[in-house]
Amino acid sequence: MKIAVCVKRVPDSETRVKIASDGKSLDEAGVKFILNPYDEFAVEEALRRREHAGAGEVVIVSLGPPAAQETIRTALAMGADRGILLQADRVPADGLEVARALGAELKAGAYDLVLFGKMAIDDYNHQVGPMVAELLDLPCVTAIAHLEIAGGKGTAEREIEGGVEVVEFPLPAVLTTDKGLNEPRYPALKGIMAAKKKPLEVKPTALGAGSLEVLALSPPPQRKDGRVVGEGSAAVPELLRLLRDEAKVL
Amino acid sequence: MNDVLAVLEQRERTLRKVSNEVVTGARRLADALGQGGGGARVDALVIAAGTVAGADQLGGFGADKVITLTNPAFGHYAPEGHARVIADRAKAGGYGAVVFAASATGRDLAPRVAARLGVPLAQDITDIAVEGGAVTVVHPVYAGRALLKLKLTARPAIVSLRPNVFTAVQRPRAGSAETAAVDAPVGRVVVTGIKHAAAGALDVAEAAIVISGGRGLREPANFKLLEQLAAAFGGRAAVGASRAVVDAGWRAHADQVGQTGKTVSPTLYIAVGISGAIQHLAGMRTSKVIVAINKDRDAPIFKVADYGVVGDLFEVVPKLTEEIKKLHG
Amino acid sequence: MAERAASREPFVPAVYQPPLPTDRLILKHGSPGAGDRTELDVLIVGAGPAGLACAIELANLAKRGGGAELNIGVLEKAAALGEHCLSGAVVNPRALRELFPGLPDSDFPFRAPVRKEAVYLLTAEGRLRLPTPPTMRNKGNYVASLCEIVRWLGQQAEALGVNVFTGFPAASLLVEGQRVVGVRTAAAGLDRDGRPLANYVAPNDLVAKVTALAEGTRGMLSQAWSEWQQVPAENPQIFALGVKEIWETKRPLDRIVHTLGWPLPRDAFGGSFLYPLAPNLVALGLVVGLDYRDGTLDIHSLFQRMKLHPLFCRYLEGGEMVEWGAKTIPEGGYYSVPARRSGDGVVILGDSAGFVDVPSLKGIHYAVQSGILAARAIFAALRSEQASAVQLAEYDRAVNASFIMQDLYRTRNMRLAFKDGFYTGGLKAGLMTLTGGRFPSRKIAMQPDAAVPRRTGLAGGAGRDEPRVADGTLTFSKVDGVFKSGNTTRDTTPTHLIVGPDVPPDAATFYAHMCPAGVYERVDGTLRVNAPNCVDCKATDILGPRWTPREGGSGPKYKRM
Repeated sequence: MKIAVCVKRVPDSETRVKIASDGKSLDEAGVKFILNPYDEFAVEEALRRREHAGAGEVVIVSLGPPAAQETIRTALAMGADRGILLQADRVPADGLEVARALGAELKAGAYDLVLFGKMAIDDYNHQVGPMVAELLDLPCVTAIAHLEIAGGKGTAEREIEGGVEVVEFPLPAVLTTDKGLNEPRYPALKGIMAAKKKPLEVKPTALGAGSLEVLALSPPPQRKDGRVVGEGSAAVPELLRLLRDEAKVL
Repeated sequence: MNDVLAVLEQRERTLRKVSNEVVTGARRLADALGQGGGGARVDALVIAAGTVAGADQLGGFGADKVITLTNPAFGHYAPEGHARVIADRAKAGGYGAVVFAASATGRDLAPRVAARLGVPLAQDITDIAVEGGAVTVVHPVYAGRALLKLKLTARPAIVSLRPNVFTAVQRPRAGSAETAAVDAPVGRVVVTGIKHAAAGALDVAEAAIVISGGRGLREPANFKLLEQLAAAFGGRAAVGASRAVVDAGWRAHADQVGQTGKTVSPTLYIAVGISGAIQHLAGMRTSKVIVAINKDRDAPIFKVADYGVVGDLFEVVPKLTEEIKKLHG
Repeated sequence: MAERAASREPFVPAVYQPPLPTDRLILKHGSPGAGDRTELDVLIVGAGPAGLACAIELANLAKRGGGAELNIGVLEKAAALGEHCLSGAVVNPRALRELFPGLPDSDFPFRAPVRKEAVYLLTAEGRLRLPTPPTMRNKGNYVASLCEIVRWLGQQAEALGVNVFTGFPAASLLVEGQRVVGVRTAAAGLDRDGRPLANYVAPNDLVAKVTALAEGTRGMLSQAWSEWQQVPAENPQIFALGVKEIWETKRPLDRIVHTLGWPLPRDAFGGSFLYPLAPNLVALGLVVGLDYRDGTLDIHSLFQRMKLHPLFCRYLEGGEMVEWGAKTIPEGGYYSVPARRSGDGVVILGDSAGFVDVPSLKGIHYAVQSGILAARAIFAALRSEQASAVQLAEYDRAVNASFIMQDLYRTRNMRLAFKDGFYTGGLKAGLMTLTGGRFPSRKIAMQPDAAVPRRTGLAGGAGRDEPRVADGTLTFSKVDGVFKSGNTTRDTTPTHLIVGPDVPPDAATFYAHMCPAGVYERVDGTLRVNAPNCVDCKATDILGPRWTPREGGSGPKYKRM
């Protein structure tokens, strides 16, 4: 089974967000970068599918700066076979441009499955996976939390409001993964050593400018100062009045 | 063109409530686009197997026309079919923008439509405007720790709205409705069914209202007070817990709100007997409205709460439950 | 055990401390329980300055020697390099110059040279400028972040082909007879009750011809080995505990500052530091010797109070606390360094060997130098295939002849003099400085910190008058501090702390005050352990429940500490 997993190098979720002097991007000084946690579910799923099939290849693909090689190596340490870095100085804000670059690389790969994390924890965009599927004209199911594959066909489950959608699809397909799909393995020590020797191809990539422009990155508005409404149960009527008339949440 | 296509959601032939927000957002955008002169319409689009209940209400939120496109294959969400139909409609109608809800379905559908049309998508936005003729949006990033302002220079501008932000606003408009049958392209991806969540299993991360308890509850049995309050909200509320009470074994880890538990962003978060350590705040800081009930007026939670009640929770919470029950009749 | 209400009986921590779990810490090679097994030429436990310096020097020696590349592995329990490293710091560059001859100082990962410095004696409201003691003169030294130094050293090591394995804590020594042949790592993916989860990872065995233990302060395997081999030392090792924060400030700081006196009680040894990593990025902390007499002393609380003193708050006002952390420091100096730090198949580096000079507050360059000297001895020993105790003893000889032991000898009694209190100690220390260590010169005997009796009960303690509630802008609670240390340890990891049986309420109170991270609480007279809060400072191992490693990546994630 030949599986591609697209991964992204992202700032650690504990990062204190400091805005760079250009007012449009993150100040990366001292920021720790990691493999996007949602992508870990994708890598893990790919490894399990390959193990289940008994044979195959798991290829890690990433679009990013040179340091993204480290991110790919983390996935290789988990057990993937080889990596491809589409090297670009910046990942554009326009998800369609990212999808175009990834799609061009994946097209010739004849993959049975192309996996993505459902979203990246920096941009929260939820879009590159299904866009790539559309560009490659492949069936796609997003945010899967359960997956079964048998005989060239798959069944997935995805959470929707108040329930779970059950979806059937044929292979080859694009899937994006959500929490709960599996428990990603820790890289084994031997895996870390082996990862250094696995092939990692670096391909400089030119991206289109896209038509989604970043105007500004700013801190969230300060929450307005709250106030103590009153004391004891006597304060309850006033609290309710405020929740209904001022905050409008009731 | 400045007209806006609002893509609605239906389930089992009834419009989902989030559709009102989509129309409200679309109306706001259309008004802004139409400022230059000539105005702009909002056409609401719903795809279903047949007529959809609630579709005729949308004029009350600002829709000029509601279009229901039907095909027996569209009982459930059919990603490829929906994407093709919407993309074709957007092109044929020359719309300036297409608005989705950033719901589970919307987040799946909007990227497909955008890619089909060869234009970018601004997903999960919390604000929309028009500046210099171009659509600008605000999108929270880094788990809400920053806001990204984006400009969409291509047309149509495709956006999806974060639920519970574009509060539905009544804006009556004399509208019309039309229903038409459409061809459904054969889809490879088929939704075969929906398993419904068991009653009462509302997850803290999903609930619109979260009531969390901390050590101030004194013992596990007292969480009953919070469960009663949650019940008074009629199925929309879930009970969460601070790390301290989960560590003590009073509540399940699945209910833990905080940095090492779940991050929640409900419309209303009520913190009962919780002091407000940063690791807890990290899990609920982006809630729309925060209420704190604590007997210690110096507790840090009061700094982050919009509304605070200093008092004995064993008196305040039952009183609150009583009043909420009255409200909900 | 009945509570000794309002007790006048002193509390002796050692009574309630479980012994070192040597049966877990020293395993026969071949014992069951391991998953993978990896063979290396040299195994280094701990990717701090000592461990990485050793790795770098070894790799360079192998390269220059022209022979085969050495297979060197460094195990680090933190999830990423530097995340468990914490220091002031003002660094003496001489050891890095030796490690990288030909590299100019400007290439080193330092922040800025020390330009001005000041030492003050603090009182509750004011301060008295003191002449800088000669031991504390820092001209020619650099303000630095240990995290940044370690990440930089890590890059150099990896570029030389060294394998750095982050997220792998060493949990036991593997031995054959008297010889150390490697280590076994801790398991990962266990639930609270010790049962394997879906992503369980079995312990790894790593075997090597030489194992270098560079575990930092209060190293567990170093302790176990020294005890097992009955290696003598003239004094037991003693420790201090420091709590530190990094602040982004509105007001720039242009000098390094050290203070003595307030808020520490007169019968406690220690002081504070305030260093500019950049004019508007300051590191500050308070350090206290763990032989403090007042059982209610709470270093975190004292530190929070200290920040309200005009000397500090004029810098901190309007600023933002960006990191918090805590760490112990070995303070015993010359007489606490074990008689030998090498044996069959093993060497002990850096803080684990006690190479810290308290009067000058220096340890990093000794750690680096010990790593260099160990590498040379290891390289020579590997040549002859044996790496026996006799050959590795060359490391001890080299250290004894180096500036490490020369410096420690000169100040050998200075810290120890303070065991009799601030003024007596100060007087003695002053005399030692004047006489270059010659008077008073006889070794001052010390007890282990846990054996020192503590006052309990309501009799006024340094823990009194603490800010009752942290204000969240200038002062912070322990729980908030732990958040700022970057600690996101999984709540459901099994507890890693070994608590003695029958811990009385007095002990629970003592632990609650001692631990800067709020791991211990006294709840209704019993001890409550919030193990995930632990930031691996090791104070608990010194005075209370014993510390063992958790799954890799647990604990703090320091960025610039």
